Amino acid sequence: MRRNTPLITLLAGAALGVVLLIASMLSTPSKAGTGYGAAATAPPASSAAAQTSPASATATPSQASPSATAPAVVTAPDKADYAGRVRGGGASLAISIHNGQAIAYVCNGSAIEAWYKGTAANGVLIMTGKNNAHLSAIYDFGKATGDLLAHNTDYRFTVAVVHKPSGLYQATALVRGATVKAGWIVLPNGIKVGSLESDANSTAPSATQAPDLNVATGTAQDGDVVLHAIPVSGVTGSGF
Amino acid sequence: MTTRQDALPPARASSGVAKLVVPCLIGALVALTLGIYGRLHSPTGIAINIAGFSSPGSVKSWLATGATVFAIIQVGSALVMYGKVPRVTAPSWIGGLHRWSGRIAFFLAVPVAIHCLYALGFQHYSTRVLIHSLAGCAFFGAFTIKMLILPRKGMPGWVLPVVGAVVFTLLVVLWFTSAFWFFSTFGIKR
Repeated sequence: MRRNTPLITLLAGAALGVVLLIASMLSTPSKAGTGYGAAATAPPASSAAAQTSPASATATPSQASPSATAPAVVTAPDKADYAGRVRGGGASLAISIHNGQAIAYVCNGSAIEAWYKGTAANGVLIMTGKNNAHLSAIYDFGKATGDLLAHNTDYRFTVAVVHKPSGLYQATALVRGATVKAGWIVLPNGIKVGSLESDANSTAPSATQAPDLNVATGTAQDGDVVLHAIPVSGVTGSGF
Repeated sequence: MTTRQDALPPARASSGVAKLVVPCLIGALVALTLGIYGRLHSPTGIAINIAGFSSPGSVKSWLATGATVFAIIQVGSALVMYGKVPRVTAPSWIGGLHRWSGRIAFFLAVPVAIHCLYALGFQHYSTRVLIHSLAGCAFFGAFTIKMLILPRKGMPGWVLPVVGAVVFTLLVVLWFTSAFWFFSTFGIKR
């Protein structure tokens, strides 16, 4: 009787898959217990480790375990806020990540702006918005790098982690039957960039410069309407 | 052993096609199982890591690229085995090359798939991701079908080339929607 080698190949592959799956399952809870806690309580240590070595991601697995089939290593945060200017400086971008969900806003303080929603997993961020807007990035404890499309314009970016009061703010209000939605990006140097969609529910909202945001009170005066802004923060979960 | 279906009695052609039913059902079941697991299991965002690469994304991209290279060897060796390459007669080792390139490609693809399923899941938030998710499930279903029909006798001659082409096409689609996207978005060296 001849051996059925294709079947053996298939079963060996399936066995490999099952072993890897079980290994992943076994490694995840232990890491979720210690790693997530460590990441949550001591993010400076992680970013400090990342800064000491240029190859930050390769350094992270080795500090946890040198083994090739090491337990899961957290190379990306669960909760983070990033903000900065896109390459070329033509617009600003803020990204907030909260437990796998992500919200981002790109804005030039005038007509070019887009909101994005998407998923953040495993250091990879994939987001989409209205009007074919999309954003792809990789992120770690220090920065997010990628490219985005807004108003049919491509931007590349590397934005760094920011902390309150820097980051993303949004306000929505019903004004004369239309939903007004404003977004502001507060950069670490204190500069605020904001745009306002006068009809946010339209499929292709048009935007103009947003009124100035008072970060301390969270309000902005748009004509006779007071907009109440809330921070969109992955760290606190606000706005998610 | 040889996997080629040389002696094919013409009268058995219809029953040969009938023999495809069970492998195709099993393959469909494999694809469905992967898809349903990927959809229902909540993605963890992490899985076991392989040391030496700059990120899980680059590990997967390089493994997928390796699988695709071996899959190209698959197509080339199959063409030689079927005598489709002019002025090239199949050397004795071509069968071994075909089998082992296929095995290596498959074993390189499995860890990538497990990582996808466990850490990321079946997703549809963009066209690229939807196509990748669908092709990923279909690939392992199609590969299962090919492995199940390989040892069977009395199959019509077109079956293996067609199934092989489907498996290869799905893998190339997978590579373009993942590794090619990854390298072109983030660069080869990170």
